[in-house]
Amino acid sequence: MIQMQHFLMMSAVIFVLGIYTVVTRKNVLGILLGTELVLNAAALNIVIFGFYGNQTIESSIYALFVIVLAAAEAAVALAVGLTLYQNFKTIDTTETRELKG
Amino acid sequence: MHFFLENIWVIPLAPLIGFLINGLGCFLRLPYVKSRKFVHFVACTAIFVAFVFAVGVFFDLLGMDPAHRSFTKTLYPWISIGSLEANVAFLADPLSAVMMLIITGVGFLIHVYSIGYMHEDPGFARFFTYLNLFCFAMLLLVMGDNIFMLFIGWEGVGLCSYLLIGFWYEHKPNAVAGMKAFIVNRIGDFAFLIGLFLLFWFLYQQGHPTVAFSGIQENVHLLEGAKVGGISLLALVGILLFIGATGKSAQIPLYVWLPDAMAGPTPVSALIHAATMVTAGIYMIGRLNFVYSLAPEALVVVATVGALTALFAATIGFAQNDIKKVLAYSTVSQLGYMFLGMGTGAYTAGIFHLMTHAFFKACLFLGSGSVILGMHHEQDMRRMGGLKKYMPVTYMTFLLATIAIAGIFPFAGFFSKDEILWKTFESGGHQYWYYVLWGMGVLGAMGTAFYMFRAVAMTFFGKLGERAHEIAPNEVEEDEHGPHQHEHHTPHESPKSMTFALVVLAILSVVGGLVGIPYALGHFFHIPNFFEEWLAPVFAGAHGEGHGAHHDVPVIEYMLMVFSVAIALATSALAVYIYTKRKDLPARFVTRFPRLHRLVHEKYYVDEIYQVLVVNNLLRINQLLALFDQKVVDGFVNFAGTVVRFSSKVAGFTDNRWVDGFVNLVGNSISFAGASLRKAQTGLVQNYLYIAVAGVIALMIWRLL
Amino acid sequence: MEILNNQDSLWYFLPESVLILTFVVILLFDLPENWSKNRLLAPIVATIGTVLFLALSFYTQQFPEAITFHGMIINDAFTDFFRLFAGLTALITIFLSLKSKEVAQVRAEYWALLVGITLGIPMLAASNNLLMIYLALELISILSYILVGYLHNTKTSSEAAVKYVLYGATASGVMIYGLSLIFGVTGTLNAIEIRQFLISNPAEQLALFIGLLMTLAGFGYKISMVPFHMWAPDVYQGAPTPVTAFLSVGPKAAGFAILLRFIYTALTQDQGGVYVPLKYIDISTLMAVFALATMTLGNFVALQQTNIKRFLAYSSIAHAGYMLMAAAALNTEALRGVIFYMISYLIMNMGAFAVAIAVINDSGSEELSAFKGLGNRGRKGALAAVAMTLFMVSLTGLPPTVGFVGKFYLFSAVIEAKIYWLAVLGVLNSVVSLYYYAKIIKYMYFEEAKEQKPFALTGFSFPSLIVGLAAATVFFGIFWNALSYLTEISAHLLM
Repeated sequence: MIQMQHFLMMSAVIFVLGIYTVVTRKNVLGILLGTELVLNAAALNIVIFGFYGNQTIESSIYALFVIVLAAAEAAVALAVGLTLYQNFKTIDTTETRELKG
Repeated sequence: MHFFLENIWVIPLAPLIGFLINGLGCFLRLPYVKSRKFVHFVACTAIFVAFVFAVGVFFDLLGMDPAHRSFTKTLYPWISIGSLEANVAFLADPLSAVMMLIITGVGFLIHVYSIGYMHEDPGFARFFTYLNLFCFAMLLLVMGDNIFMLFIGWEGVGLCSYLLIGFWYEHKPNAVAGMKAFIVNRIGDFAFLIGLFLLFWFLYQQGHPTVAFSGIQENVHLLEGAKVGGISLLALVGILLFIGATGKSAQIPLYVWLPDAMAGPTPVSALIHAATMVTAGIYMIGRLNFVYSLAPEALVVVATVGALTALFAATIGFAQNDIKKVLAYSTVSQLGYMFLGMGTGAYTAGIFHLMTHAFFKACLFLGSGSVILGMHHEQDMRRMGGLKKYMPVTYMTFLLATIAIAGIFPFAGFFSKDEILWKTFESGGHQYWYYVLWGMGVLGAMGTAFYMFRAVAMTFFGKLGERAHEIAPNEVEEDEHGPHQHEHHTPHESPKSMTFALVVLAILSVVGGLVGIPYALGHFFHIPNFFEEWLAPVFAGAHGEGHGAHHDVPVIEYMLMVFSVAIALATSALAVYIYTKRKDLPARFVTRFPRLHRLVHEKYYVDEIYQVLVVNNLLRINQLLALFDQKVVDGFVNFAGTVVRFSSKVAGFTDNRWVDGFVNLVGNSISFAGASLRKAQTGLVQNYLYIAVAGVIALMIWRLL
Repeated sequence: MEILNNQDSLWYFLPESVLILTFVVILLFDLPENWSKNRLLAPIVATIGTVLFLALSFYTQQFPEAITFHGMIINDAFTDFFRLFAGLTALITIFLSLKSKEVAQVRAEYWALLVGITLGIPMLAASNNLLMIYLALELISILSYILVGYLHNTKTSSEAAVKYVLYGATASGVMIYGLSLIFGVTGTLNAIEIRQFLISNPAEQLALFIGLLMTLAGFGYKISMVPFHMWAPDVYQGAPTPVTAFLSVGPKAAGFAILLRFIYTALTQDQGGVYVPLKYIDISTLMAVFALATMTLGNFVALQQTNIKRFLAYSSIAHAGYMLMAAAALNTEALRGVIFYMISYLIMNMGAFAVAIAVINDSGSEELSAFKGLGNRGRKGALAAVAMTLFMVSLTGLPPTVGFVGKFYLFSAVIEAKIYWLAVLGVLNSVVSLYYYAKIIKYMYFEEAKEQKPFALTGFSFPSLIVGLAAATVFFGIFWNALSYLTEISAHLLM
């Protein structure tokens, strides 16, 4: 029988994988994928708590907002990544390090 | 009704406006500061207006009922946080009126004098700007009706003092002298602040959170008997505040900055380092007399330090050849007398000496400035001599002021110094220790007469330059502007603007003491002791102020008076004799007791002792750290390498003066830490996120533990 | 206490509605081809919209305080203050953007984005619901990403924007994950209900703590709190200077507003002006440690900087540390103190950036050495140098400037809360900051300029803005009763 903690465990795994991706990838798009994983883990969490908890529509709406904002963020991130590529001819973060110290 | 009392805010405002006009001009390079006439007109007018209002305040107060001669003008509620309230409010009472008159009066004369003295200086406008700012801060200090304003003025005058000591900052020792004054005063101010906070905190706990002087006076009795760690709270507060005063007023052990402060222009030495700022500590004790009167232990400390300083600094004065250094140590010594008076509970006498000292010491400093200018920037007395002929006005005024400081009847110094010594002797009846202090005071007075007349003889008597051969060829000679070449000029008298100030101050040094003729002398002619009556309401609650009860004068008082005048005359005559007729004697003395002479000449090596105590200990800690490096941390090669480099850096700094070294040590430790932290900012966004995640995880672990 | 429905709440939302309208209208300006002929139109509309927003917020300020939109947004004196704050910040930024050569050729969208962020500030400050917090935070963040990368032909600008996006997206992802945990444990996202839950369920739950910590990480990213600060120097350096000025004041203040509202509302209980932390979460010590770490790091690293904007970035991190003390002190004085500090920070930081923009305009260089000899470069140079000196003195926190008063209020709140170690270390930190602020003053007066030409600060309006801010720095440093009154009425949270 699949229970609440199984779902939670899954979202936690997704979250940790997302953080791991963010910290280890060198490619801007790779890092972006990691952040999407983190956001989706959060959305999943909210839906699970709503489903097993107070059973209101609230949680589903919250999850929708998270998905929408994640899309908006991804759009901006891709646009910004494009300008980075135009300026540096690469999207490898180890090679775009003019700002430091 | 009381026009001047109602408009008392004009007194600090006038110099502030002067400061703003000249200061803005300097800062923004406005064309009008190029006109010297305009600059000194603004500065002198500002302080003169303040003086006129101070006189007005004095007469307004005079017109009031003696018992209620106090007026508070609240301008603006300044801080009100919770229970703490402090106002921008000015207090006019007999004590602050005296201080206002001294600051604005002597201040005005010195402004006028500076017109001539600073005539050729490119920083003319800057100088007057600072001078006006100083007057403003000093007036805030003495006029504020609460501790906050006192402290702001206290720090403000300090700031101006550092700025003016380092006025010719292009020359490095001057800048170092400014730094030294700054650091030494920080030590004092630290204690001062702790004292203030303690006082406020305990009043707060008693349910009377107040910083106004009147409020403290009303409630201070509640603190009687309170203890902090076994020590009476009020004594602790008194001593802490006094440590602050030893910094500002150059007492043992924090006096070391004042002689170095002579690097500033001479008018500054006269105004700030003789007449006004250095007396802030005495004013503070006078203002908080109700605290000190409840803390006899603190008073003993004050009196003892005062007497010790009076004697100690006087002896150093014997062996100085720089005319300004002689006057500097003389100032330290005279300030000691004032503290002796305060510490005896004779507040009136202390303030009285403060006033007469302002007259004659300002006169002496200005006179020395006139001599320095007349000798074309020469400060070494051994190159002087016979100036009587060339500079008659300077000579006469300098001589009169010298007689005054020596305490010869009926000049100003006699009345004030004698009153302090008499009160000390009188206190000996209750506590034998005061007899010892009295003895030190008398010895110091002898010393004063000797070194001052030595200075007069070396400067004005004899022939020009007759002692120049005594100067060892390898001695570094420096004046305010740094090392200089000796060219032969004929000395000349100074311009009118300078001699005017000298003459006025000389007259005040002669007659200034007559406002406080002691009852013992005055009752023959039915002249009241005006000064004592005037200040009586301020010190009403103080012990040891036996006003109004002078019915029988003990014979011993007359005896002591005659005795002190006699020894002053005798030592003066001795000094003049030795330095005009038996010029070989000092040299023989030096060859006979070379060690003693060197000891005194090198100011008892106090600077060097501080060097050893402070700097060398820092060095030792440094060596220990280096040892630790070699033996223990060897494994961490990289880390150790950095630390060794760092500590060698530190070792490099200690070669400099300890002041520089200390400042740089702190600065460089911080730079070093900053540089290490900076390396974490790699420019890699993954690393940034990694650190953030690590931070969250660390906090989780911290929570779980 | 009244919880209004959506319809009744609309009146309270009037000022923000004006900003939304302005935002949409300005976006339309980019549609016609000949936009470049009317360069001033968009900023003028933006200014009018912001002024109208300010006027309307004075109007709505008279309404009784209320919880609106079914508990999503709170309209109290605290919110009103941040409306005022956002409006003023936006006006100064619009002005600085007009004067800066870096953003001389921008499309209308630039102004629309500024207005959009301005909209986000009071909304974030007013949020009572964790989802609302997330939405407002993202509104500010996403628009900021675009503004930071606005100079798309510059390497640094695009690099800064990428770093900002990646860091921001991850931080908000972590935060929303934390929010989901709080939602799971308490069953609600409403801050007031969270407090009620904590009071009635005192048992310790690890998930709740982790959720709170992750939420704090999200707030911490917005206010550049150590260790979530590392994006700030890079982003501040790479962004166009007026945008940097705006980011370091407006959105940062909004972050503080929500951090304080959340901590004071959800995690503490008001006991007559003292806010006692609830059950096992020692939020006071936690925030004190964050505050100390933030101010120390900011001050220490600022010492090492050579780039003007990077220097000001670390300085702003240090100031975030001082303001964080209010989250540790947890009393009404602290709320008042931090509000006062924000006003003073607005004045002095905007002033410093204004002079920095003038210097960058003049020299074309962002190096600190561009300040060398500024005081000796003609009358305009002397003016800029005097103003900069005042801002530096104020940022250090010395009297008689507004920065001193702000610090005074903050430190007295910390002492009131009896966290003496924090007060002492905070004061020591201010002493350290003197070193690097004084460095600028030293550069301006005691060092030779590279080229001795008069400082180019033309026109009337730009110098007047600098002088005005400098005058305000001193004026409010001496006569702060009016500000003190404003902080007193603003330091009230509806909970």
